Amino acid sequence: MPSHAGTPPVDATQVDETPADAMIEARDLSRVYRRPRTSLTRPGAVVHALREVSLTVRRGERYGIVGESGSGKSTLLRLLCGLDQPTSGTIRFDGREITGLPERRLRFLRENLQIVFQDPMSSLDPRMRVRDLVAEPLVALGLPAGDRVAELLEAVGLPATAADRYPHQFSGGQRQRIAIARALAPRPKVLVADEPVSALDVSVRGQILNLLADLVDELGLTLVFVSHDLSVVRHVCETVAVMSAGQIVEAGPVDDVWAAPAHPYTRELLEAVPTLEGLL
Amino acid sequence: MSALLTVEGLSVGADSVELVHDLSFTIGPGERVGLIGESGSGKSLTALSLMGLLPEGVVASGTARLGGRDLVGVQEARVKRLRGSELSMVFQEPMTALNPLMRVGAQVAEVMTLHGRSRQDARQRAVELLARVRLPEPAEIARAYPHQLSGGQRQRVMLAIALANEPRLLICDEPTTALDVTVQKQMLELIAEVAPALLFITHDLAVVASVCERVLVMYGGRVVESGPVREVFTHPRHRYTEGLLAASRLTPRGTRLPTISGSVPAAGRFPSGCVFRNRCPHATPACETAPALTGDGHAFACWHPAG
Repeated sequence: MPSHAGTPPVDATQVDETPADAMIEARDLSRVYRRPRTSLTRPGAVVHALREVSLTVRRGERYGIVGESGSGKSTLLRLLCGLDQPTSGTIRFDGREITGLPERRLRFLRENLQIVFQDPMSSLDPRMRVRDLVAEPLVALGLPAGDRVAELLEAVGLPATAADRYPHQFSGGQRQRIAIARALAPRPKVLVADEPVSALDVSVRGQILNLLADLVDELGLTLVFVSHDLSVVRHVCETVAVMSAGQIVEAGPVDDVWAAPAHPYTRELLEAVPTLEGLL
Repeated sequence: MSALLTVEGLSVGADSVELVHDLSFTIGPGERVGLIGESGSGKSLTALSLMGLLPEGVVASGTARLGGRDLVGVQEARVKRLRGSELSMVFQEPMTALNPLMRVGAQVAEVMTLHGRSRQDARQRAVELLARVRLPEPAEIARAYPHQLSGGQRQRVMLAIALANEPRLLICDEPTTALDVTVQKQMLELIAEVAPALLFITHDLAVVASVCERVLVMYGGRVVESGPVREVFTHPRHRYTEGLLAASRLTPRGTRLPTISGSVPAAGRFPSGCVFRNRCPHATPACETAPALTGDGHAFACWHPAG
C-alpha cells in the first residue's frame, strides 16, 4: 500500500464550527501505539495508527468509512465507540465529551451507540441461547427485557422460535440478523456496523443490507458503516471518508467521491475493485 | 484439443451425505476455468478431491484424469508423486498454510527436494521463484519467516511454492479473499500471467470475470450452469446464476437490492430434484425431478431457464 504520509490531513467536517445537528464530533484524533520491544536496549517502535483525524457525523446521517487493512479505520472505530482512548484529540457524542471518561461514566454512550461486528460467528457466544444473546445489552445496562426479545427478532425477520436456539443452528446471514437484533436492544441512536456483510455470501448480502437500510429508516438511526468496499458504501451511505495511513485523505458526499475521486489513493482504490459491469 | 484435466462423474460424500454430485468438466492446456459457488456449494471439496487431500471420512468416487493419470481412487503413494509437481494448489489463508517455524525460502525449496531435486539446487531455484512472483529482494525474503511478511507477500510465497515444480495445472482456492483490494488486483494479474492451466475457485463473480475464460457455477454440490464467462454472465440461463448476478450488482442508494430468498441449506439438506427449487421464484412441481446439465458450450440444468 502506498504511503501518503506527506499529504495534509483532510478535515472531514469542512467547517470550523460544530454543526448544531452533530451526533459524533471528532477533533484532531491521534492514536499512537508502541510495538513490543524487539531489542533489550531499545524501546519498541512507535506506530502512528491515527494522525489528527477530524470528522462530524450528523444526526440521521449514514456515514461510511472506507480503507484497507492498516489504514486506521479499526482504530478510529474503537475510539468513536469508546473502546479505546485517543493519545490526543477529543470526541463528543451527542454533545457530550467521551474522551478521558471512566467506564462508569460512559453509560449514555453504551445505551445510545451499539455495534454490529464483521464476523457473527465470533461475536456471538456459542454457549448462549439467542434469547440471552439479544437481551444481554439490556441486562448489562439494567434495563427491563420484557417482550423486547420477541419484538427484536421479528424486526430482523427471524421467527420467535429462534429465541430458544443456539448460534450454531443458524446460517451466516441469520447470525448477522441476531447480531443486529442485539445491537438494537437498548434502542440506540447510533448503530456502528464494522464490515457487517464481508463474511456473508453474495446471495444473502443484499438481504442484510436491505434490512439495515429499513431499520435505519424506521428507527431514525444514525449509521456509521465501515467497509473496505467503496461500492457497498455507495449503496448504503450518503457521506464517505476514505482512510489511508492513519489519515482521512478524502471525505464528502459519496456520489461525488465515486464520480470524481480527488485523491490518488481513492482513485487507486476504485480502480482496484473488479466490477462485473467494467469487465463484461 | 485434447483436455489436460478430465473429470467425469465425480461425487464426494461423507457417511450417507452426498456433498458433491456427479460432476463432469474438462480443462484444456493453458485454459483458465473459474469455479463459482457460495459456502457449502462443494467447490472446495471438488478441489481437495482432485488434490487427494480430502479429510478423513470424506470419500470421492468417479474419475479425474490429469494428462492420462488417475487422481481419484488411486493409492496415496501415486497421488503423492503428482501432488506438488503435476498439479498444485494455492490455499485461501497463507497464514495457516505456511509453516510459521520455517524460513520461506526453505518452504519453497522443500517442495522441490521432495520431488527429487538436490538441496543446493532447490535453494537456489527457490530464490528465482520468489523473484518470479515479483517479491522485491527475493534473497532477503527467502530468509524471512512468514510472520515477517504481509498478507499479499505471503500469498506470493504460496504461489511460488505451487509453481516450484512447473505443474501442468494450478488450483487456486479463494487466493485473494483475505487480501486488500489493491493487493488482490496485483495478485490476480500475477496468477493469470504465470498459471499453466488454472482452476480458480471463488465466490466472487467479478474476480472470475477478470481472470477466467470459462466458468462453472456450483450450487448444492452440483454444477448448475457452465460456459464462457461473458456468455454466462451476460445471458445466464439457470435461475440461481441469474439471482447471483442480480445480487452482485449494487444498485444506487435508496433502492432495494435484489436478493435470493432464504439461505444456502446445510450440507445434506438440499431439496431432492432441482437443488435450487426451495429458493427459486420460478419453481413448479416439474422441478421435483432433477434437471440434467444440457447444452453444448453453454450448459445449464434448469426446467424453467431464463432468457
